[in-house]
Amino acid sequence: MNEVIRPGAEDEDRLDRSRRVGWVDVDRLARSQVLVVGAGALGNEVVKNLVLSGFRHLTLVDMDRVVRSNLNRCLFFNDTDAEGRSFKAEVLARGAAALDPDVRIEALICRVEEVDPWVFEQSDLVLGCLDNVAARLHVNAHCCLHGRPLVDGGTLGTSGKVQVVLPPAGPCLQCAMNRTHYRVLEKRHSCTGAETAFFEPKMAAEITTTSVIAAIQVREVLKILSGQRGRCLQHLLHYDGLTNRTLELEVPLDPNCPMHGDRTVA
Amino acid sequence: MNGEPLESSVIGMSVRVRVRNAETGSTVDMELEEENTVQEIIEGAAGYWEKDAGAYVLRKGKKLLRGQQTVLESGISNSDDLELIPDPEGG
Repeated sequence: MNEVIRPGAEDEDRLDRSRRVGWVDVDRLARSQVLVVGAGALGNEVVKNLVLSGFRHLTLVDMDRVVRSNLNRCLFFNDTDAEGRSFKAEVLARGAAALDPDVRIEALICRVEEVDPWVFEQSDLVLGCLDNVAARLHVNAHCCLHGRPLVDGGTLGTSGKVQVVLPPAGPCLQCAMNRTHYRVLEKRHSCTGAETAFFEPKMAAEITTTSVIAAIQVREVLKILSGQRGRCLQHLLHYDGLTNRTLELEVPLDPNCPMHGDRTVA
Repeated sequence: MNGEPLESSVIGMSVRVRVRNAETGSTVDMELEEENTVQEIIEGAAGYWEKDAGAYVLRKGKKLLRGQQTVLESGISNSDDLELIPDPEGG
């Protein structure tokens, strides 16, 4: 018996155009469990891109609340969220679910250091959308320990970066750090002595750079989960928004980095 | 700006490099000993330009230089052009 088709049926499939890209494994994306650490500006853009790309299982981690100064770059936040000091992860989860009712999103309202290691272990991939060195080191360590790919993004004004970590091979985030990173880390944890109180300098941030960096992050995720690891960024991508130039910087693996060697498990 | 050459914390003048400030395009020449580390170059240049406390990296061509490596180990040689780049850590 012949297959029955209907004119225009392809327009009823929300992911029809994604399937036409060819190499994107839409079915695999829908099955994958993705952990997004950070629900700020990058988190908003990354989650939007993930949901529109067909991801169905997301976990968000963020301890922070919405403030008005977030509203220049966070798609899912509004004045009501800022006035109510809503939790970023909860607002983002609601917004993402509104984009696609089939998405299942768990919002964890806590510091990433408080997340059960099992959350990393059960994730297929982790996206770093963080704003500080300490949290980056923590996420990097878990990804290396559990052998989970990490796609980390960062912005500063009109510049940004994306680094893909594919444990156990290749350099990790810590390999690319030096003493200036650790000085920032020390400074941020030296103000009051309280565990969660830290000095946080206000950094320049705007939506166009955030959008570019988040788009690159999610594109790398699509490659990793679609069997296209060979096409992934091999090193650290640096983006200069003023000139629109990108530069892929080779990060040498640090032989003294504690994240490499026999400690990595499959 | 091409100011007076900066001397690193270790006295000696075996290598002279030019460091470019990626944010402003300014440059400064720096005199280095082979034992100087990449971290010392980063801190020397950031201090010269009175940069805000923040994370910085140094590149030579398309290679990010590892902080703990010395001038000798990282292959920095006379007349090299290096670039000081703020490491974007915002999210």
